[in-house]
Amino acid sequence: MTRLQRQAFFTSLCLLSLWAPAGGEEIGPVRHSQATAPVVAQAESSRETGTPSQQPVAAPPGGTSLEDLLLQKGSITMDEWIQIRAEQEYSGAESARRIDAIEDWKTRTELLPMLRDKVNFGLNALQFLYSHQDAHVPEGKSQDNFSIRRSELLFWGRISDTLPRWHALMEFQSINFGRETPAGGSGAATGQPIAATFFRESYIDFRPFQSWAPYMNFIRMGIFRMPFGIFTETSGGLRDIISSPYLTSVGSGNGNRTGSAGTIDFLQERDFFVDVRGKLFNRLEYVAGIMNNNNFHANATGANAPKSFYTRVRLFGTDVSWISFTTIQGESNNANTNINGRGKGAFDRYGLDFRYTSKIIPGFMVQGEWWQGHDGANQTTVGRPANGACLDQTICGGSGAPGAMRRTWYVLAKYLISDGPFQNWEPTVMYEQFDPSTSVSNDLYTRTILGLTYYFENFPPKVQSKIQFNYEFRHHQGNGPGVAYDATFDAFAQNAFLVQFQIRFM
Amino acid sequence: MSRLPGAMFIVLSLAVAACAPVQPFPADVMNGVEKEFDFTAWRNIPNARLGQKVQLGGRIVQVNGANGNLTIIATQLPIVQQPAYGPKDTGRRSGEFAIMYPGSLDSKWVKAGNRLIVIGTTKEAKTVVVDDVQRSLPSLSAQCLHIWNTGGKEITDFPYNAGGGYEPLEEETHCAPQ
Repeated sequence: MTRLQRQAFFTSLCLLSLWAPAGGEEIGPVRHSQATAPVVAQAESSRETGTPSQQPVAAPPGGTSLEDLLLQKGSITMDEWIQIRAEQEYSGAESARRIDAIEDWKTRTELLPMLRDKVNFGLNALQFLYSHQDAHVPEGKSQDNFSIRRSELLFWGRISDTLPRWHALMEFQSINFGRETPAGGSGAATGQPIAATFFRESYIDFRPFQSWAPYMNFIRMGIFRMPFGIFTETSGGLRDIISSPYLTSVGSGNGNRTGSAGTIDFLQERDFFVDVRGKLFNRLEYVAGIMNNNNFHANATGANAPKSFYTRVRLFGTDVSWISFTTIQGESNNANTNINGRGKGAFDRYGLDFRYTSKIIPGFMVQGEWWQGHDGANQTTVGRPANGACLDQTICGGSGAPGAMRRTWYVLAKYLISDGPFQNWEPTVMYEQFDPSTSVSNDLYTRTILGLTYYFENFPPKVQSKIQFNYEFRHHQGNGPGVAYDATFDAFAQNAFLVQFQIRFM
Repeated sequence: MSRLPGAMFIVLSLAVAACAPVQPFPADVMNGVEKEFDFTAWRNIPNARLGQKVQLGGRIVQVNGANGNLTIIATQLPIVQQPAYGPKDTGRRSGEFAIMYPGSLDSKWVKAGNRLIVIGTTKEAKTVVVDDVQRSLPSLSAQCLHIWNTGGKEITDFPYNAGGGYEPLEEETHCAPQ
């Protein structure tokens, strides 16, 4: 190409570029306004661009919007048509912007641990209790008492399928220093309060093999309600009566040489443990593990104690009715213990429990537990000095009693009225016995509880707000034959009336 | 020695039985059920697959109607075998469907959040009001329902993780009156 040819080519391009704007103006809206069809074509063209601001301006079925029709009929001018469309596009853009903002907010909030089930919290139980106790009380005390029975907040979450649960339960009245039984003779100093345990429960669940679940469902390690029977494993916010059963704790004062007196914590509700849990045949649940056997306070006062093995199998007749067998086998010690009534030596428990939840009479439930077990020699009360299996109380402290075989059982029945004027009321009745030493007579504890519960909200296990009225007929035979006993001040020998208001929400 | 094979047979039989998959519905109800039903395709074109007998899992969102003629709105969830048999929330929204159950159920079974598996026949899309919004949802005529009274929790949360203690999970199969 010669220089002259190049100049001619560029000159042509310049001329073309000068002509082009005129052509551009001709394909604008003004040109389209000359005919009907291009108006519709523009509407369709605007949809094809696909910008969010234009999407809401979609034509109605048939492809023509109201303003198009008005324009075609000459009811509105082109300027008015453009104004309507501009307003529509503006409002469409505003809607799209709002939707984008909501989507952005949703994306952000979905990342919050609270919304991904990684962190949750709830009120396990907040209970206000009034109680009247017929037993005489020391000077300065009253037979009528107001108290906060429980103030428990629960925190939990699910990290992954492998770590399906973490769990921590705080009891906000756990401000008292706990104490333990010091090792030493009768002259040793009593155990001093040394530490407080703020939490009641803290554990981690670990499911190593997803494909093994539910046959080997998960391994649980930490502090939790022990899988012993029914009552010990039922949350305080879901219990049918106000008082704890005698199988968890009974009696007062120090033990004696027959093993039939003093405070006895036959089954501790919580402990340090690691166990494995699963379900077979879709009907048989099992738990097997090892525990510290020194109650949950031991985390602060010194956790280690002689260990115990435990296992429970629970056979289901229906989804909510079962029978279970439990055993605990191991050692216990009276020195450095945090549990009342424990001695030095072999320790065992055998338990049988059942629950029948009727499907024939909806709302009716009956359950019961039977337990028997042996405590080693020289049982102690927490805080009182003790030293091994020594039975000479003047030298070694403790109760100086030989080993004791203890036995307890109860039966509880309730019926939730689901319609009529008494809807949401639930009468309850329970009878229980505790024999501190089966080889000693005249030491039996018995109690009959008549209860009435009204549920404000009843969606267990998460929600249960209720008021409970319990009257307890209590009887205590004594501390064994030939042992002086005064029932006047014994709270386990005098009737009691209790009213408890509870909120539970999670 | 002659007892050894017998003992081994019993142990193996028990092991196999212990790990057998759960089947909450009677065998005759399960006859002809399409277990691998494509829910997404059905949701997109509800009326294209009429009359198919299917099994679907879900979580109850809302229940309309009175006893004797219930319409249960459920969010579809995949049915898994592990860690526990039943519908499992995977965190992804897959869409709602309507279950028409010609029978009565106790209120505790049809509360929002409960998990269910339904065996039923696909019907034409049904217009329902969900959260005050009128929607057209794919629908099933239920033959049988298996419901877990989870109250919004996962099936695996029971019996040990539901609250601060042990809580057995109520579950029951309900079939429409013939």
